[in-house]
Amino acid sequence: MTALLTVLLACYLLGGLLPLCTTRLYLQNVFAHGCAAAAGVAGLVLGVAGLLSTAPLTLSLASNIPQLTFALRLDPLAAFFVLTISLVGLAASVYAYGYVEEFSGRVSVGLLGSLLNGFLLSMTLVVLADNGFFFLILWEVMSLLSYVLVVTEHEKPGVREAGLFYLIMTHVGTAFIILTFLIFFQETDSFSFEAFRHPDQQLPEGLRSVAFFTALIGFGAKAGIVPLHVWLPYAHPAAPSHISALMSGVMIKTAIYGLIRVYFDFMGGVFPWWWGFALLVLGTVSALLGVMYALMEHDLKSLLAFHSVENIGIILLGIGAGMIFHTYGLHELAALGLLAGLYHTINHAAFKALLFLGAGALQFATHTRHIEEYGGLLRRMPWTGAFFLVGAVSIAALPPTNGFVSEWLVFQSLFLSFQLPTLFLKLMLPIAAAMLALTGALALACFAKAFGISFLAQPRSTQARHAKEVPRSMLAGMGFLAGLCVVLGLAPMLVVPLLDRVTAPLTGAAISSQVLALDGWVVAPVTVEFSSISTPVLAMLLVGAGALGLLMARLCGKGLRARYYKTWGCGLNLTPRMEYTATGFAQPIKQVFETIYQPTVKLEQEFLEQSKYFIKHQRFESHIEPVFEKYLYQPVVALMLATADRLRIIQAGSLHLYLTYIFVTLVLLLLWAG
Amino acid sequence: MPASTHLGSQLVDLCSVLLLLCCFAIVAQRRLSACVDLFALQSAFLAATAALVAFLTGHKHIYFAAALTIVIKVIVLPRILRKVIERLNVSRELGMNINIPAGLLICGALVVIAFFITQPIIPLGYLLTRDSLAIALAIILIGFFTMIARQKAITQMVGFLVMENGVFLGATAAAYGMPLIVELGVFFDVLVAGLIVGIYTHRLQDAFDSVDTSTLTVLKE
Repeated sequence: MTALLTVLLACYLLGGLLPLCTTRLYLQNVFAHGCAAAAGVAGLVLGVAGLLSTAPLTLSLASNIPQLTFALRLDPLAAFFVLTISLVGLAASVYAYGYVEEFSGRVSVGLLGSLLNGFLLSMTLVVLADNGFFFLILWEVMSLLSYVLVVTEHEKPGVREAGLFYLIMTHVGTAFIILTFLIFFQETDSFSFEAFRHPDQQLPEGLRSVAFFTALIGFGAKAGIVPLHVWLPYAHPAAPSHISALMSGVMIKTAIYGLIRVYFDFMGGVFPWWWGFALLVLGTVSALLGVMYALMEHDLKSLLAFHSVENIGIILLGIGAGMIFHTYGLHELAALGLLAGLYHTINHAAFKALLFLGAGALQFATHTRHIEEYGGLLRRMPWTGAFFLVGAVSIAALPPTNGFVSEWLVFQSLFLSFQLPTLFLKLMLPIAAAMLALTGALALACFAKAFGISFLAQPRSTQARHAKEVPRSMLAGMGFLAGLCVVLGLAPMLVVPLLDRVTAPLTGAAISSQVLALDGWVVAPVTVEFSSISTPVLAMLLVGAGALGLLMARLCGKGLRARYYKTWGCGLNLTPRMEYTATGFAQPIKQVFETIYQPTVKLEQEFLEQSKYFIKHQRFESHIEPVFEKYLYQPVVALMLATADRLRIIQAGSLHLYLTYIFVTLVLLLLWAG
Repeated sequence: MPASTHLGSQLVDLCSVLLLLCCFAIVAQRRLSACVDLFALQSAFLAATAALVAFLTGHKHIYFAAALTIVIKVIVLPRILRKVIERLNVSRELGMNINIPAGLLICGALVVIAFFITQPIIPLGYLLTRDSLAIALAIILIGFFTMIARQKAITQMVGFLVMENGVFLGATAAAYGMPLIVELGVFFDVLVAGLIVGIYTHRLQDAFDSVDTSTLTVLKE
């Protein structure tokens, strides 16, 4: 495995350096994305090997900086995340080979590819790091590289602001992570994760709770947990699409990794019930608000970014449920909750990356991200459409795809709350499950909108009318992820045993033999009789039903003649203006949840003087209130600006005055010390 | 025999006092070229002090530092500064933030403060040169004060260099000089600072028709 790890690191490093050594565009492209893809394959094998191996692989290199060792550790948890990163990295780099054409001439392809390799490398190392200091360095490298990648198209309006917003949020998060590690450092006098894991003495309860919150805020800012999610819908759309896929698919997952590492590994899984409950509440709120704001979004990539908030919420629901069960000693259920969360993590990585790549393909073909300007693309881009549909079905959690399996597992672990001893939690977990159900329904509505408005009916703009299918490498990247979505859905018997190896050491219960009944063809959290599901059978039923329908049509409709004609439009010629718009589609939901959205609708009409039945021109405006930005972030920003204004008084701009400040301080300090 | 009554120690004190006197002269001097000359004189005294310390203690590397002081602070930097003055065609500093009598009084107070601060430290030392520490601190403070009191960029540079002389004297007084590599680095820094200020005053002249750093306030929005 050491050899594999070396190959992985070498490939990324080569991919980072080689593209900068040549000026030929073609070579830059091949080097950058070839190396990234090769590293992705190596990471895939390494991840599986790490999951299967019995003992964790550890490597360590001392440094002469105190407390810093370059220690790597490949345990099952890290291996799982390496696997996830490599899967998406592989797809994204194959896709990028064709996609960077979009940027040629404007952005250096070599630099973009080099940064991509650096970003993938830093993410891989973040999950492998086994020293707090080293982890923080890599975490910062990852954040900074992703910032640089977000502002790739810095000449476009709004991109730099989005990047700055992201940079501020991620640094606030990092500050809290540093605090967390400092608390552990106090306890162990070392920054080594090994020491964090086995402290000499337990931290006092109060300090442990502080560490819980600092870790939650620190990693939550990266993961996009409500209310720290506000940067996602700005930063993800601004980045090039394969980078968005990586950021949304895997980078925010490194925060999930961090949370599991801190709570289950460092704190040894000993925690009060309200920790898990806090995660559960945050998860529910994130899931619900994420999908609700996604529904109102008509920028395809912003929409997907809000869905990342939703899915992080679902992952947190699984982990939170697992933590609650763990507190009460229900280790098997804890393992189930955690397993569901992790399953959803890899699933979300697959389908969200797929959807972002699909959005990138649409942008590549039409040069816009606005859903209202799409339409009729399925006929023009059939492959992209098909892959996007697979992603949409997965994220909407329809059987038999992967999103369905993991969300179903999360549901099951929430329903099993009747085994908990306290009435309060017995009531709360099913409520969370109900909210999750609402989330699922809204997600379905959202993707009915996203897919339907984008791909069906007639094109709404000239760009959409002239759209062409994207290059093969982009299709290959999307196809790989689409296949992955289907495989992860149809073959839980392959995935669950692997995930079990991650959760078993953390929760102390191996459940794969129990969950997989009937040789793995059925997934059953408790027993087959209580609740069970089999996606292969479901898939066969679906295919069978379709085939049956065809057969019936063939048999019964033998004498009928098929005639192809355009859609009947009451005698009028069909135009794109008659189509259902995305705004119109989301309107009923906007009405229902008016209290949350606080929509503003403005209609200005100017009539002809002769009659008010003839409108000269009209202007329609509709937007929803960004509640969190307005009530949470604006006051903070206003306060900072006001303070800065006050402080400006001492900034007179006079050199002599500044010198006097220093001088007076110096003399006073000398006198005080003397 | 107590260190303070040793002849060598008294000689070191004498040289240090001459440095301090140069400082007062600089504060009282309006003519720019005279300020530069006084700085060169002060640097020469500094070199003499360093050589004296080297002779008394037998630390060879202090000779080297003394030689560097002569080359850079007595010859090169004053030459650069004089060139700048010639080119700028300003010979006198008329406007000052603090007028000369008040400035001299403040400098006197600074010397008192410096002695007051170092009072508890000096008896702890055992070196020949320990009494110079108070003077070194006074020189540093006066150099700093010059930077505040004067408006022309050149006198501010002189103030900065005086401070540096004070630091050098302090290092010699407290620890028989810094390691040679540090001295070299400091000399290099001072030289670069001199060059930068030379260019900077030139730019200032171009932009504002004056080398008065008070005009920089207009840069504030």
